[in-house]
Amino acid sequence: MGGLGGVKHPPDQGPPPLVVLRDVVRAYPRGSSQVVALAGVSLEIRAGEKLAIMGPSGSGKTTLLSILGCLDRPTSGEQLFEGRSVASLGDDELSRLRNRSVGFVFQAFHLIAQLTVAENVETPLLYEGAPLHEWRPRALRALERVGLGHRADHRPSELSGGEAQRAAIARALVTSPRLLLADEPTGNLDTRTGEEIRALLDELHAQGATVVLVTHNEALGRGAERVVRLRDGRVESEERR
Amino acid sequence: MSPALVVLLRLGARSLRLHKLRSSLSILGVVFGVAAVVAMSSVGEGARRETLAQIAALGIDTVTLKPPAPPAGEPAATLPRAAAESLARVVPGVQAVAPLRVVELQADAAGRSAPVIALGTTPGYAEAARLELAAGRFLADLDVADRKRVAVLGASVARALFPLQSPLGESVRLGGDWYRVVGTLQERAAPRARAAAIRARDLNRAVIVPLPALDRGGDRQPEGVDEIVFRLASPDGVAAAASVAQALVRRATGAAPEVVVPREILRQRERTQRVFNVVTGAVAAISLLVGGIGIMNIMLASVAERTREVGVRRALGARRRDVAAQFLVESSLLTVTGGLFGSVLGLVGAVLIQAFAGWPTAVHPLMLAAALVVALGVGIGFGFYPAWHAAGLDPVEALRRE
Repeated sequence: MGGLGGVKHPPDQGPPPLVVLRDVVRAYPRGSSQVVALAGVSLEIRAGEKLAIMGPSGSGKTTLLSILGCLDRPTSGEQLFEGRSVASLGDDELSRLRNRSVGFVFQAFHLIAQLTVAENVETPLLYEGAPLHEWRPRALRALERVGLGHRADHRPSELSGGEAQRAAIARALVTSPRLLLADEPTGNLDTRTGEEIRALLDELHAQGATVVLVTHNEALGRGAERVVRLRDGRVESEERR
Repeated sequence: MSPALVVLLRLGARSLRLHKLRSSLSILGVVFGVAAVVAMSSVGEGARRETLAQIAALGIDTVTLKPPAPPAGEPAATLPRAAAESLARVVPGVQAVAPLRVVELQADAAGRSAPVIALGTTPGYAEAARLELAAGRFLADLDVADRKRVAVLGASVARALFPLQSPLGESVRLGGDWYRVVGTLQERAAPRARAAAIRARDLNRAVIVPLPALDRGGDRQPEGVDEIVFRLASPDGVAAAASVAQALVRRATGAAPEVVVPREILRQRERTQRVFNVVTGAVAAISLLVGGIGIMNIMLASVAERTREVGVRRALGARRRDVAAQFLVESSLLTVTGGLFGSVLGLVGAVLIQAFAGWPTAVHPLMLAAALVVALGVGIGFGFYPAWHAAGLDPVEALRRE
């Protein structure tokens, strides 16, 4: 676990980065060979920033997002989350970290069809271990934040695409995570609804959330403070705006 | 209950309701398995209780001696009456002893008649057979010595012959002789003819008279009796006392008498019961095994079609054990529901068996609790592999699954 010294920051440079990746490689075995999704990515994400990860499909964007959200582990390389080495955390601790510190927003919403909108939003609270009486108020607060308070008792199948994605964002927000990870959040939406979701993410960012977007939609990436471009599993360019 | 369990139960119930037909079909094995256990064990329990009731009526501290069965074509043998007196002296711990003559007769009184079992005996029979008087008195020593024609009526005889008045002081005709009624017995639990381990005499149908007063005439030895019953002060020495009594009678008559020891019969019955239990258990185990495999099958299907949900839940912070718990709760809910339906079906089965086959049945409440616990065990046991499989899914791959 060498190299911890390289990520220490003097006090005058503010808090340490939320996430640090150093030379992260992610390779999957396929048959006798390997598929390399990430071929050595180094990246820092600071608290409160809005970052877009862009690149053509197959460039490793989604893999990178999974690793950032501690859903997947690097094959090699170093990863720190809030200053802690992720490699040293067990599966239960990673689950806890995903629950408390990370909110996922998926392209296909991934709402659970049998549950109502409010119950979907309450799901992370089950794993947080929150007392039952807190669930409904907290879920409603999260739904209000995304402007979906009136749909709490509907089924996901009764929602429009934009509403479903709002519900998914509310679910990501309900545990007040430090990091919001969105994988092509507008990919399944028409332009106008996509624009609404983009505005919602901007608003959450303005309220202090750290937002990382994965997209190949230039319009969506344009609003980010920093754009990291991936190609063939490597960082091709990084621009700050 | 923890909030997690409440929510998981609600979730599980909802997911099972979503596939009503599939869920109901998958629990059939458990339903029939549990029903078989409940029905069969209620038959076993019924037989056990009946045996116990008979033992209680006969007493586990009594021994009955009967003459050896005669060779075919010869008249029934008897035991010497004198043996009863020597038994009382020689066998250790004898509390009461009574010789018995037994004849099936018709009894008549005041224009009514009833088939009865006439028992000729001595006053010691009251204690040896645990007789309780309802009214009047039992036989006295003088009745025997003077061959008095007095009678004590069993409860159903008294009811049949004297439905409206007290039988005390009335006369009853028995085999041509008139007897004066001096007492009546209290009602006793009647032994049932079928499925009985011990054929106990129905003393409600008895008319008890002094031994010498029961004249059967004919070629029988006047001093011969059909049975000798004795009761010990404590049930512990019953087997030893039985063999002493048997040896004593053999020495006197040259032939070993048949010895009926209810306690030994009870032991025998328990051994039979154990065999029955093993067979019942094996049948139950096989049906529950088949039921469990059905549950495992359906849970594997459920995990497969909800792989993406597993991925989503893992992304939202579910630990492996949270995922496993969700599926385990679901499989347990299935089998416990099956257990409930199975118990009801089993109880209906027990009632039908009693009604149509005439076997006594009884339900032990612990048995029902055990059936549900077993059903829960099947749910957890056979739900374990699917749950473990779901828990081990890679979250990233699970999310990618359509």
